[in-house]
Amino acid sequence: MTPLPLLQNALTVGAILFALGLVGILTRRNLIVMFLSAELMLQGISVSLVAWSRFHGDWGGQILVIFVLTVAACEAALALVFVLQAFARTGRLDAAAWQSLRESSLSRVVDQELPSIDTLPQVWPTLSPAGVLPQADENEPLQREHV
Amino acid sequence: MNLALFSPGLLLAIAVTLTALSLWLLLPRGSESRPVWWLGWLLGAVALAGFVCAGKRLGGIGEEAVFLTVSLVTIVSGTATIVSRSPVYSAIWFALTLAGVAGVLLVLGAQFLGVATIVVYAGAILVMFLFVLMLAQPSGLASYDRVSSEPLLSAVAGAVLLGLLTLSIGRLSVGPATPEALALASVASDSPTAPAGAAAIDSLEENHVARLGGELFGRHLLAVEAAGVLLLVALIGSIAIVSRGEPDATDNRLALPPATATKQPQGVPR
Repeated sequence: MTPLPLLQNALTVGAILFALGLVGILTRRNLIVMFLSAELMLQGISVSLVAWSRFHGDWGGQILVIFVLTVAACEAALALVFVLQAFARTGRLDAAAWQSLRESSLSRVVDQELPSIDTLPQVWPTLSPAGVLPQADENEPLQREHV
Repeated sequence: MNLALFSPGLLLAIAVTLTALSLWLLLPRGSESRPVWWLGWLLGAVALAGFVCAGKRLGGIGEEAVFLTVSLVTIVSGTATIVSRSPVYSAIWFALTLAGVAGVLLVLGAQFLGVATIVVYAGAILVMFLFVLMLAQPSGLASYDRVSSEPLLSAVAGAVLLGLLTLSIGRLSVGPATPEALALASVASDSPTAPAGAAAIDSLEENHVARLGGELFGRHLLAVEAAGVLLLVALIGSIAIVSRGEPDATDNRLALPPATATKQPQGVPR
């Protein structure tokens, strides 16, 4: 691929990742998914930086991505600590659990009634039985109890 | 379907609209419906095709099958990351996104960063996310995972941002080689005679990791030191916050003893 289309394609992939992360951090309510979305935005930025680095034949973009990785690790550690603290205080990972911190002019978020989740049954994988069922020994569970 | 009927601007507008609609359909809105779910994915695929065809130069995206594959994996799993109802599935899809991003970086010639993304992100950061999920996730699907806050506005905002970025990316072009551009290129690249073309691109490929390390620990040594300090501060800070913020912090065995107890008595021979 010639340099310019490769740059444009990579920049498009980076832009898509950034937009997806933006939508996720704006709209999801689970704190952990919000941080995953922030990481998604960082990934988009990294792809764009490396694309420019390749286009210009310059190391600057790749060096910057290394520091993005470093800062992302620090940010994830601190953010997850705060998430754990928030969960210890409220028992939920919900961003709306902290809506008492909102501006006084904003209205309160009220959850609507959700339909029952019975429409999504959990299906576990099963194995078809093979061979002969072994003879059960009544004493065996007692013997194995202390192993 | 003859996409040449549409002008690129109209095509881009349609792609933006379809993206917003697709994301809105896919985001959790309280009610679960399989046809709506698949319709969202279908609209997203159509929108992606529209984005591919929108820019005049973006038509060359099919030239490299590897790049196409890894970018498709990245985009689809990135979408699944933000629309999955269960945060555990979100984390797993994000791991696949990281694999796709590493593939994109490898195609772009950043070998060290491709491997570092896998090792650092998927190996360390994502595992940290999963540990926190294990500690904090209530059993079953929580109600706040099944609804979004303002899904329509957010999807529209993301799609419009994507459209604007695509517009500006599609307008990129290599101008005629003016003396200023050549001077910039020679400053940016290592060799003073390399133009900002194919010759300069291949200069990053040979002896890649050694030269990246030389650049990192040469010109950017101070930044490396600052990053090390940042990592140390984040480590100490997270431990301090965890140990001080416990709700039942009545256990004060870790508290410092009074200052008088630790003072060395004067005049005691060693």
